[in-house]
Amino acid sequence: MADVTRSVGIFEQIRLVAGLRWRILRNGLRKKNNRLDLIGLIFVGVFSGILVTGLSFAFYAGAYAFLSQGRLEWMALLFWGIFLFWQIFPVFVAGFGANFDFRTLLRFPLSLRAFYIIGLAYGFADFSALASVCWLLSMTAGATVAKPGVLPAMLLIVAVFMVLNVTLERLIGSWLERLLARRRTRELFLGLFVLSMISLNFLSPLMQRYGASARPAFQRLLPYLAWFPPSLAGGALAAITRLRPAEFLLSSAVLLIYLFFFSALLWRRFSAQYRGEELSETAAPARAAVRSIPATDDGPDRLSLLSPPVAAIVRKEFRYLTRNGFAYLSLLMPPLLILIFSMNFSGRHPTVGGKGVSAEMFFPGMMAYLILILMAPAYNSFAYEGRGIQTYFTAPLRFRDVFLGKNLMLVSVLAVEITLSLAMLAWRVGLPSAHMLVATCAAIIFTIVGQLTIANWSSITFPRKMEFGQMRGQRQSGMAALVAFGSQILMGGISAVILFTGNWTGNLWLPAEAFIFLAAAAVGGYFASLDALATLAEKKKEVLIEALCR
Amino acid sequence: MPEMAIQTQKLTRKFGNLTAVDGVDLQVAAGQFFGFLGPNGAGKSTTIKILTGLLAPTSGSMQLLAVDFASKPVEVKRQIGVVPEGMGLFERLTGSEYLKFVGRMYGLDRATTQRRSEELLDFMQLADRPKTLIADYSHGMQKKLALAAAVIHGPRILFLDEPFEGVDALAAGALKALLARMTERGTTIFLTSHVLEIVERLCSHVAIIHKGRLVAQGSLEELRAGISGEAGSKTTLEQIFLSILGQDGTERPQLEELSWLM
Repeated sequence: MADVTRSVGIFEQIRLVAGLRWRILRNGLRKKNNRLDLIGLIFVGVFSGILVTGLSFAFYAGAYAFLSQGRLEWMALLFWGIFLFWQIFPVFVAGFGANFDFRTLLRFPLSLRAFYIIGLAYGFADFSALASVCWLLSMTAGATVAKPGVLPAMLLIVAVFMVLNVTLERLIGSWLERLLARRRTRELFLGLFVLSMISLNFLSPLMQRYGASARPAFQRLLPYLAWFPPSLAGGALAAITRLRPAEFLLSSAVLLIYLFFFSALLWRRFSAQYRGEELSETAAPARAAVRSIPATDDGPDRLSLLSPPVAAIVRKEFRYLTRNGFAYLSLLMPPLLILIFSMNFSGRHPTVGGKGVSAEMFFPGMMAYLILILMAPAYNSFAYEGRGIQTYFTAPLRFRDVFLGKNLMLVSVLAVEITLSLAMLAWRVGLPSAHMLVATCAAIIFTIVGQLTIANWSSITFPRKMEFGQMRGQRQSGMAALVAFGSQILMGGISAVILFTGNWTGNLWLPAEAFIFLAAAAVGGYFASLDALATLAEKKKEVLIEALCR
Repeated sequence: MPEMAIQTQKLTRKFGNLTAVDGVDLQVAAGQFFGFLGPNGAGKSTTIKILTGLLAPTSGSMQLLAVDFASKPVEVKRQIGVVPEGMGLFERLTGSEYLKFVGRMYGLDRATTQRRSEELLDFMQLADRPKTLIADYSHGMQKKLALAAAVIHGPRILFLDEPFEGVDALAAGALKALLARMTERGTTIFLTSHVLEIVERLCSHVAIIHKGRLVAQGSLEELRAGISGEAGSKTTLEQIFLSILGQDGTERPQLEELSWLM
């Protein structure tokens, strides 16, 4: 018979959960890699601390200045800054991976009320919440020093504003959690995030072109913002400072209505979770009825020139590419980057001071930059294989076939990307002279093939597992990144020196000849290295399997 | 003397100071349904990884179908099928794509791969989800697919690491029938499982590993005879297992210590 125990209080439960999280962190640091993570964590912590402290002074000074100078309307601006940070920062963080799932606590004897309060308490433990609370307290201090009489009202407004923010943040978080529970939406979210980050590069040229004309439209929208919580908080403070109690009461009442509305919605969401909402994306058991799949004729084998294992790996790599939203999106980047750079620095439609650089410099420079980006994944090319890596070692094949299949796919992608980028360059900037074009094309072959040999070695020596559709915890192996950086610097340096020899010696075709020679040597070296790398892969297979099957 | 499918001599694997597999001498005849048992951490998975080429032994040698693994690994791998720990699936492929990939990796021509993939998907009841990625399969479905991939090339030895874990009773029944049919036709099956009833029902021969050392090996009848002293007795495999592993008296937890629970 089970013992009947006394019920545990909410604060005791919060303390236990905090202890659990601390132990998870501490035990995680026992591993060598995680100690490096701790160093990173300390570094980030110090940096964040400086940022939060610095901004706390800014909020203090802002509140003090606005109240002492009578610019009360500007207080809303400070509330807006905190509000946006508190709500937007966690959304980006949540999108990159699974947080600690506090719903697992439901197995314990918790009431819905306790579950709700623990949920809110969790919200206050986020970085965005802690930073925002610091800034709000700094604002309170600044306002109190400027006008000591506003302290009670300020404390009330700040308290309501804090609870409102944490409630809204948890509400958005729980909606997002529901949305991102499915793999596809998670990947789509990540894709949209990356795309929006890239799109920020267009902001500067667009503002320069359309900024002035967009200002009136933006100003027309401003009055509507007065009914949002940050403006209401600022308005309530302004009203109490001007001794207008009716306005203060109205603003505070609307703020409270917001709080009750968000709380009701959050209660509803948490109730669904409490009842055992199932977010799992695991497929339901297969139907018992057996249905034959229609026979499909793949037609003639388009990869018949390749050996069956190499062709199979090329096909598999292509399918992986098309199903990795992040990688798929990165294929759009090269032409897009050329468009962005040509808008900023060069081209027929330059936006920065009307000055551009010549195609002679822009073409090799952009190609070097694109290779830098596109070759980076090759240094950890088994990252997405997961447990599938075992198949390469249980199947009857030589590991050189695996390298060949993977490299062939990468080279095909690079060829398409470079062709697209060339077309974009020709449209935006124009093509360089013939000798520069030939020299750069030969340099591209030299740098890509040269790097492939090093990248293959790096991939089997410093493997690091990565997951599709996640960014949190998705760091490359430090050594692989270092090797990539070193070899790119080396290749880039050699290429730059050779390109300039044309100008120094006056023989414009000299770089082209030198790069053709180097490209041929790199191709020869690549094929010569495959067997040695296959032998190394056999020696390193345990490291590889252990790293990727975690 | 029967043809040997698997033979190992003093197979040893060390991880630093830990000896996971310690001088194991295995003898598995062709066509046997062989159960490889042991408690958690005994060295079962390490042994199966060594036998399938996923892990190199620290010392010792092994021959599969009379071919030395170390000198001719590709030739050996062509003859074996594996469902490794964690299944080894490429999760971003569909079931059909994965089977075609594996078929081609084992050197089957396209038409044969296509035909066998369809038949296997039908048999495993996975055919009604042709566009579903393996990542979205349930655990049981992944297990069935891993088994389908392991047999697509018609291996002469099949290594299965916990093949029935997470598979529903209906599918498990069909899989057992398939495996039994394969052994009838001469395929050797080397299986690890924690479910002793399954091993007892399916396997003709059993080996038990404990703390990296092989502590028993033989047919079920031979093991029963070794324990009870008379062949053909009613001793179950569980009794044999516990009897062999519990000899030093330190393995069984003392229930008296949990008196508050009773």
